[in-house]
Amino acid sequence: MNSDADKTPRKRIVFKELQKRTVWFIRLRWWVSPVIAAGAVSAYIAGFEFNLLMVLLVAGFILLYNFVFRLALSALSGRGVDRERSVQRFTICQVGFDYAAVFLLIHYSGGASSPLVFFFIFHIIFASILLPVVLAYVFAGLSSLGLSIMAVLEYDGILARHPVLFLGDSIESAGSPSHMFVRLFFFTASVFIAAFSTTEIMRMLRMRILALDRSNTAVSILNEKLNALYHMIQAVGSKQKLNQVLGPVCNNLVRVVDTRALSVKLLSESRELLKYAAACNLPDSLVLKNSIVLKKSPLNRRIIEGEPFVTGDISQQEMFQFGEDLEAAGFKSVLFVPLKVEGRVIGILGGYSRQANRFTSEDVGFFQQAADLVAMAIENARAYENIEKLMQERTRFMLQVAHNLKAPLDGAVSILNLIQEGYLGDLKKEQSEYLTRVSNRAGSMRSMITELLTLARSRSDGHKIEKKSIDLKKLLDRIERTFRVEAGQKGLTFMVDCPYDIPAVSGDWDMLEQMMENLVSNAIKYTPKGSVWVDASIWNEDRVRIMVADTGIGITQQDMPGLFSDFFRAGNAKTIDEIGTGLGLAIVRETVEKHMGSIKVDSEPDRGSVFTVYLPIEVKMEREDENSCNAKNQN
Amino acid sequence: MANKDILLVDDDPDIRESLRIILENEGYTVRMAANGKQAEQALLSKKPDLMILDVMMSTDTEGFDLAFKLRSQPEYENMPIVLLTSFLDKVREEGPDQFQHILGEQWPAKWLFEKPVDSKRLIKKITGILEGA
Repeated sequence: MNSDADKTPRKRIVFKELQKRTVWFIRLRWWVSPVIAAGAVSAYIAGFEFNLLMVLLVAGFILLYNFVFRLALSALSGRGVDRERSVQRFTICQVGFDYAAVFLLIHYSGGASSPLVFFFIFHIIFASILLPVVLAYVFAGLSSLGLSIMAVLEYDGILARHPVLFLGDSIESAGSPSHMFVRLFFFTASVFIAAFSTTEIMRMLRMRILALDRSNTAVSILNEKLNALYHMIQAVGSKQKLNQVLGPVCNNLVRVVDTRALSVKLLSESRELLKYAAACNLPDSLVLKNSIVLKKSPLNRRIIEGEPFVTGDISQQEMFQFGEDLEAAGFKSVLFVPLKVEGRVIGILGGYSRQANRFTSEDVGFFQQAADLVAMAIENARAYENIEKLMQERTRFMLQVAHNLKAPLDGAVSILNLIQEGYLGDLKKEQSEYLTRVSNRAGSMRSMITELLTLARSRSDGHKIEKKSIDLKKLLDRIERTFRVEAGQKGLTFMVDCPYDIPAVSGDWDMLEQMMENLVSNAIKYTPKGSVWVDASIWNEDRVRIMVADTGIGITQQDMPGLFSDFFRAGNAKTIDEIGTGLGLAIVRETVEKHMGSIKVDSEPDRGSVFTVYLPIEVKMEREDENSCNAKNQN
Repeated sequence: MANKDILLVDDDPDIRESLRIILENEGYTVRMAANGKQAEQALLSKKPDLMILDVMMSTDTEGFDLAFKLRSQPEYENMPIVLLTSFLDKVREEGPDQFQHILGEQWPAKWLFEKPVDSKRLIKKITGILEGA
């Protein structure tokens, strides 16, 4: 394991503990002086004879320096400079003062034979917990040395002795130097054993904390990766266009793999060139050089030739075609994995790092998983593009056919009109009748072609609906005027109900009017008796609901599924009108879809039908575009 | 009314023929052209009193192009042009205003008829234009 990387979190943990304990230490010390004072006074009252005044003074001294420490702590936490070291120095200072206080207490309570010597054990334990291991032993040594010196000095009379007496009897048990020596020896052993065991326990604890910290980090990295994979899968599943998929995929990858840049390169048909399909954080100069020649880039070639992954160092310039550009952008190492579809390599997913030898075997595994996703996205997008292309071809074909059919029909109808209107001589009544029949059939053919054109135009690639604010009240009033006469002639009750304050929808007037005309003309056509009514209202606050209801022949259950398909005509509709085009509802559906709306049909044969269209209310606010990583897309 | 000269431009011979018969029946002199180029030559030989112009001929906008070109020349600036088209989604009674957005701000002709042309309406309109002029 890398010791450098290991040291930092360890230091961090120790430092955090020290910081927390410093405060706790000061808080604890507030209790020390009163306890010493109370203990000393009680002992004095109980009949012990000792230097009470000095003991109380020491208690006061402790109180005083704790107060100073408290102030120093506030000052320290205000400053950010070199905090770790200053906190440690502060702690050493505290322990030092405490040592002095304990020595003074011991001195005034019987010297080396004082019962208070055991207080040192606590100190050693605190020091072992809070300070580096060496310092704990230094403090243990100091206590032992200090006590020995005190014993020698008091024994030689250099230092005044303050014996403790109880009922006139000295409680001192160490009368002889040998006795004193044994005592000091065991004291020293005790403090060192305390230092050793406490520091050992702390060491183990810290290792456990470190291990926990490490696994915590590992878990959160894993979590990030899973999250990213999930987002990528979501993008792959929900978007069909390649550039919409690759953008989010690259963004997620760059975030979790912690590399500097990413690229998706696709193999050309000749399998000799690689082109950038997407890139994130790569320099423009590189991406815009448009293609990589495989022959000139051994690293890329190895992937195309089937290696599961390659890592490379930018310093090996001969491995790259554009190594200089990569180096200039500050990259040091790369990882390439293949994008495979059905076992065939179709491109390369590349990661670029500014660290040398950045990519580990773990990264390789993750990159390969991500590459599978990217490949799937590309496959999906290509399939979708093919379908789109086919659909567009179909639409173009429809447009062409409609155009080509209309021109000769117009010519024929012109001549027909000429004859019918008598420009070429008078017609017999019977001739005139038959010409009218021809003219009617030509007319229905014309309307079919017109509808086909409308549908094909709205489906064609270039067609974008021109969105304007549409006043539905005005539109429905027009519909009412258009159909009033026709419905009246059929003896139907015809009503259009639309509130004046109906919110505007955003859309194309002509398309929406055509949609309403188709719905209403259907309703009138397929309603032999009864009524047809149109009702518009607000729906769920954000939509407008337009219902077209009739008491007509209805739609059978088996006709429902095909209702909105091109050229579909319901079985019972044919009995009413021989020559419907079957395109009216297809146009309705197309219009609804183009306006982000929805449509539903409720119907019961011989009772009537209700067509309900929901259109989103116009949103006045302008939305800001989402800004994502500069994932580029080039065809 | 008589002796007014109409230039009829359409690439479809059947439509040309039927309109010619209708217009001649009304006493107009009708000259015909099958495309923009022929139309320009016909214009050079004599300026007509009115021009009937099909929009889609060899290109989708050949008629529009010619109309715009003529509008920019002072000589033809005020020559009435009636456009014919097969391929507008809808022709409404309000007239060409509806279709402004196809061409932007300008519209090169005041009148627009959808094919096949309703002969009575066309005659009425042309008579109105030429008598008013």
